[in-house]
Amino acid sequence: MTIPVGKTSPPGPVNPLPRPLPVEFTLDQCIKCNICLSSCPVSAVTDLFPGPKYAGPQAGRFRTSSQASPDLSVDYCSGCRVCNMVCPHGVKIAEINARARARMVEDGKIPLLLRFRNNLVARSASLGRFAQPLHPLSNFIFSFTPARILADRLLHIAAQAPFPRFAGQRFSSWFHRQPRRPGENGQVVYFHGCATEFYEPWIGKAVVRVLEASGLEVIVPDQGCCGLPLLSNGEFKAARRYHLSNVRHLVDYARQGIPILGTSTSCILTLKEEAPELLDMHDQDTRLVASMTFDFSEFMLQLHEQGRLNTDFSPLPHSIPYHEPCQYRAHRLGNPGRVLMSLIPGLQLLMSPAACCGIAGTYGFKSEKYSIAMQVGEPLFNFVRSSKSPLILCESETCRWQITHATALPAFHPVELLAYAYGLKVGSPIQQILTNTKK
Amino acid sequence: MQRIQTEVLVIGGGATGTGVLRDLAMRGFNALLVEKGDLSTGTTGRYHGLLHSGGRYVVKDPQAARECLQENGILRRIMPHCLEDTGGYFVLTPWDEPGYAEKFVQGCRQARIPMEEVPVHKMLAAEPLLNPQITRCFHVPDAAADSFLASQCNAASAREYGAQYLTYHKVTQLLVHDRRVLGARLLDQVKGEEIEVLADMTVNASGAWVGQVCAMAGLSVTIIPGKGTMLALNQRILHTVVNRCKLPSDGDILVPIHTVTVIGTTDVRVDDPDRFAIEPWEVQLMLAEGEKLVPGFSSLRILRAWAGVRPLFQEYQQGETRDVSRAFVLLDHQSRDGLAGLVSITSGKWTTYRKMAEITVDLVCRQLGVSRSCRTHLEPLPDTRRRVSSGHPQEKRKPARMASLGERLAEIEAHQAYGNLVCECELATIEDVTRAVLEGGAQSIDDIRRQVRLGMGPCQGGFCTYRAAGLLHELHQSPVSVINSALLDFLLERWKGLLPVLWGAQLRQERLDELIYLNLLNADHLPGISPSQFTPEMYESAVAVAPQEYKITGQVPRIVEAEGKQPVGTGSSDLLVIGAGLSGLCAAWQAASRARRVKLLSHGQSSLYFHAGCVDVLGYYPAGSERSLPSPAEGLRRLVYENPGHPYALAGEAAIIESLNSFQALCEQAGYPLIGSLDRNWLLPTALGSLRPTCLAPLTMTTGDAGNKDPLWVVGFAGFRDFYPTWIAANLQAQGFQAAGLTIELPHLRDRKFINSRTLANLFDAGLIQDEINAAIRKLLASSPPLSPSRLAFPAVLGLQHPLRVKSELERLLGLPVFEIPTLPPSIPGMRLAFILEKALRALGGTIHTGLEVTSADVGTDGRLARVWTSSAARSLPHNSGDFVLATGGILGGGFSSNSGAEIHEQVFGLPLDYPAVHQQWFRPQFLSPNGHPVFRVGVQVDRHFQPVDPSDQVLYPNLYAAGAALGGFDPILERSSDGVALVSGCVVGNGI
Repeated sequence: MTIPVGKTSPPGPVNPLPRPLPVEFTLDQCIKCNICLSSCPVSAVTDLFPGPKYAGPQAGRFRTSSQASPDLSVDYCSGCRVCNMVCPHGVKIAEINARARARMVEDGKIPLLLRFRNNLVARSASLGRFAQPLHPLSNFIFSFTPARILADRLLHIAAQAPFPRFAGQRFSSWFHRQPRRPGENGQVVYFHGCATEFYEPWIGKAVVRVLEASGLEVIVPDQGCCGLPLLSNGEFKAARRYHLSNVRHLVDYARQGIPILGTSTSCILTLKEEAPELLDMHDQDTRLVASMTFDFSEFMLQLHEQGRLNTDFSPLPHSIPYHEPCQYRAHRLGNPGRVLMSLIPGLQLLMSPAACCGIAGTYGFKSEKYSIAMQVGEPLFNFVRSSKSPLILCESETCRWQITHATALPAFHPVELLAYAYGLKVGSPIQQILTNTKK
Repeated sequence: MQRIQTEVLVIGGGATGTGVLRDLAMRGFNALLVEKGDLSTGTTGRYHGLLHSGGRYVVKDPQAARECLQENGILRRIMPHCLEDTGGYFVLTPWDEPGYAEKFVQGCRQARIPMEEVPVHKMLAAEPLLNPQITRCFHVPDAAADSFLASQCNAASAREYGAQYLTYHKVTQLLVHDRRVLGARLLDQVKGEEIEVLADMTVNASGAWVGQVCAMAGLSVTIIPGKGTMLALNQRILHTVVNRCKLPSDGDILVPIHTVTVIGTTDVRVDDPDRFAIEPWEVQLMLAEGEKLVPGFSSLRILRAWAGVRPLFQEYQQGETRDVSRAFVLLDHQSRDGLAGLVSITSGKWTTYRKMAEITVDLVCRQLGVSRSCRTHLEPLPDTRRRVSSGHPQEKRKPARMASLGERLAEIEAHQAYGNLVCECELATIEDVTRAVLEGGAQSIDDIRRQVRLGMGPCQGGFCTYRAAGLLHELHQSPVSVINSALLDFLLERWKGLLPVLWGAQLRQERLDELIYLNLLNADHLPGISPSQFTPEMYESAVAVAPQEYKITGQVPRIVEAEGKQPVGTGSSDLLVIGAGLSGLCAAWQAASRARRVKLLSHGQSSLYFHAGCVDVLGYYPAGSERSLPSPAEGLRRLVYENPGHPYALAGEAAIIESLNSFQALCEQAGYPLIGSLDRNWLLPTALGSLRPTCLAPLTMTTGDAGNKDPLWVVGFAGFRDFYPTWIAANLQAQGFQAAGLTIELPHLRDRKFINSRTLANLFDAGLIQDEINAAIRKLLASSPPLSPSRLAFPAVLGLQHPLRVKSELERLLGLPVFEIPTLPPSIPGMRLAFILEKALRALGGTIHTGLEVTSADVGTDGRLARVWTSSAARSLPHNSGDFVLATGGILGGGFSSNSGAEIHEQVFGLPLDYPAVHQQWFRPQFLSPNGHPVFRVGVQVDRHFQPVDPSDQVLYPNLYAAGAALGGFDPILERSSDGVALVSGCVVGNGI
């Protein structure tokens, strides 16, 4: 007596299609209405990308696994997934595009140099493991203009793109030096992601302290890069290895019913959906890990529903702009970040009307795409500037770096705000800025 | 009467005819081919596209198998570009006789067909969609063939050798004198003139029509048309031809050809090769057979059905002069009937067309007493495929290789030619269409289709028919009524093949196409249509159906426990609206303005994005009227009386007026006033030049009203493909307006590869093209044009954010009033309204979540709806609410799904829907039918409070309401009431809860 769900298994005498079909089959839903084209932030600013309808469901009918990739322009899709969110018919355009790009890579249609460059910027964990220990030097080099110009000329890594600074200590190192604090409210696994690990460990600290404030014990198991930058660059073989490794590290916790949380919206989306769908990984372990993976705010709200969330927030009478990253909308959770922050008394959020900041992961770091990325983000940057606020909130790390780069305004993860509202000291600069600001 | 003298006259422009023409020409004969339609409109253009390896015949007819194999090899050499090397499988399914496999293996060996057994796991790795229950698989050198292209290449080669061909020339009489055929009399179907052809020999290669042509000489040749129906799936689900390993029968082959997958076929004897039906049982049979090869086949999107007739020759006298093989029939009428000067060739397989032609021309040579040998197997055919030229005149054609699916896309990509697409689905460019018209002799849009694949993709002409007709008008300078007819003819032609398979995503597509042609373009009220010899004949209606019976489907959603913790979800709401079209947005907006906490969930962006951006309240009443209503009020009075279940009747006049007023107030406040009242319909020009009635129109459009007789210029922008100024102006002129159309070049657009409505709107908003437009127009004004305009019309792209500012700027610069005309989606004016409503809703504290598809609902034991669930990454998300509004838009909006079992379901709550029980009764034979299509009246029945009721009028859920196109009992697109009903029902619901 269940309601007919979705479009691939209609009711009645018709046999449903028997297995999770490759995403390319959703192109059957396309009725060419052009809504995706009218919403795509990339095709709005450049002719190099003819739009989601063209690159996804339309070109999809000309692609077949038995022939070489016919594509070129699909490489300019940024993977922001706005098209998926606005398509009223269920075409998985962004995924179709991502897989088409992977075929381009497989068929050697990405020039070798650019492919090398893509791998450099996409292997965040490797980069971090190598460069973070050298951090004063590595930070210097990555911000040294002549070095950046050289990298631009030789490797096509945009000279002006916002590289974050390596932190003094890796998050996991800090965490493993902390005394274990068992919580009476249960355990959670924290999937920190490369940005927290190498660049912004204070976000991880904030997460740990905030979760502990609600009586949870935080576990940080061995983990690796989620692989999304590799997926976005069509390096599917490597991405599969990364994902398998993470599933292996996490599945035991999932089996015990311990939720896996993350603050990086892209990492969490990858574990929940992107890796399984793009890589056609539908085995039991992958599915189990996905089903036990939650976004941080999503999880906190569930705690709240169960009455287990510590709501002892100090009032924060501030009006702060908040940009929900496009990757976050792709979780299809509504606005959990906003709902969570509405629990802080006095806080007013100015919601960003913009679709995308432009950086789209590794996209905006590439010389040939940097200016597209900056144009895509322009409506957001204007919004931020006109808000006259000293800071902005945003869950995605690359978005934060992009926004700061374009507007000179510091950007923070909402968990840092929560930590501040709880009165926890986690070493985040947000504290300084908010205490200095009058409403 | 024109007289043509030639050596050999060939009747029939299919594979055999064009093959014969080429062979004759290569052997030095003076030859002329005549065809009553376009090339390949007979059986050749209606088969599944298989190049046989011979595998299908190895058991039953080994000789035919050998011939196929031999020709297979030859065709691969001479026309690789017409073929795609898909390879073929013969698969043994659980439904096939196991012993046949061995016979097949033996047969292949004997016929020397290269065959290799493939382990099933390898087969599944290559073709994951095949049935895992297949037990054996054999690979053979089948291939996919483009028979249209092949005929064109043969004809082109014949031309190169000095032969000629005439399409749309029908043989009306064979000239016989003294027991000899001297030639034929023809009718030029385009010009209506008669022509006489005198020839030494006549070759009757008219396939299924051979009997009819022979009868013109008094000969009795019985050809029984054997109809075969085929279906095309929207995409390639396989890249290998797949045959059932059994004796050939119905529905046992799947062929991937170009962008589709074809399943064929049936074999039904019919009386007339020109008139037959596609019967529902044939479609169902092929779906069932398809399921055996590909489980889940029947839930894939089917694009189209078509049928062709095989010529089956019936022997009736002894001593037929036949050639060696029984596979085809060559009749030497001199020895058979004592009539000289005529030979007939028919039957056979497409794969063996060249051999058939060779043998026929050998006979012609013998009859004419000459000895010339065939070389058609030695020389490759020219490559007449569509090409993107890089502008270099001497571009050499690369030596032909076998075709591949992706090469067209690769070419478009390499040249960045995506801005030039007329047919986006099949990647046909302006260049392709122009060549087809100017060089390829295309008379109708269907002719263009055969050459460049226009209209053969998922939208089945939804967008490209308009563009092609517009281009045709620019190229042909025909009277506008001819172009109008061309548009309607092609839409009808596409409809013909859609009817038998219209459900699911394709039905949704058709409804969008209806929205475009009826609502946006008003194509059913064009000023003039010429009687056209190209108007397609529909398939006969199949088995007569009993008077319409309706059926009701609907399921009860799952009942959920009342006790225990209920999931709270991401924030509760008072009112949850499902759907962000005009009705959903209005319901949410009105409720929010009464301080309800409103949450709006929508699968995707608003359907306003493809509506015209006006408020149509009631355009035609009764729905199929010739004349539009001068005022909605007048029609409403009658409607409310005659149709008490109509949403307008349920809402009542006061509510209608109030809703319109509120909406006008909102738009006024937002700085984008909508002008109008119930007392008068505007009549605004469409992007076709017809006039569409609407009640409220933005200030940016009202200067175009038909009441204004000032002379006007219709102005388009070079590179913008969705607007054809000269055609619009010509149609306006035909209605008594003084209008001229022109296209201006803007420097800002010159280097752009890709221009669409949004591109232009953004440029206007940024103030970047107003000056250029001014300069271009002033130059033209100064050049003493034949018509001096008092107003100017542009496509509706005058800015998304600041349309009124853009309008005033243009008017200030140009010194003339300016208005905009809505064109193909995406609709900029529609988007403006969506922005206004969304902004208002948010300002009132409502939340909108785009991208959240509602998949199911829970009901509490108190009979009230408790929550809905949306599909989220890795899980479903619950949304609790007090009240719920279903505004999911019916078939077009996606709120209702349909399937090959002729069922329609309301997707969220399983509400009861009633609609004709039999699929054939869902539609009328004409696409733009004055009475519309019964299926589009399907909807949710509601009471006066817009609460869904069951068939006995009991309210189903006390906290559920419905609004907009989800409501049943009327056809909003046909009546032109879609915006009004959405607005009124939405506002009434939003105010009433």
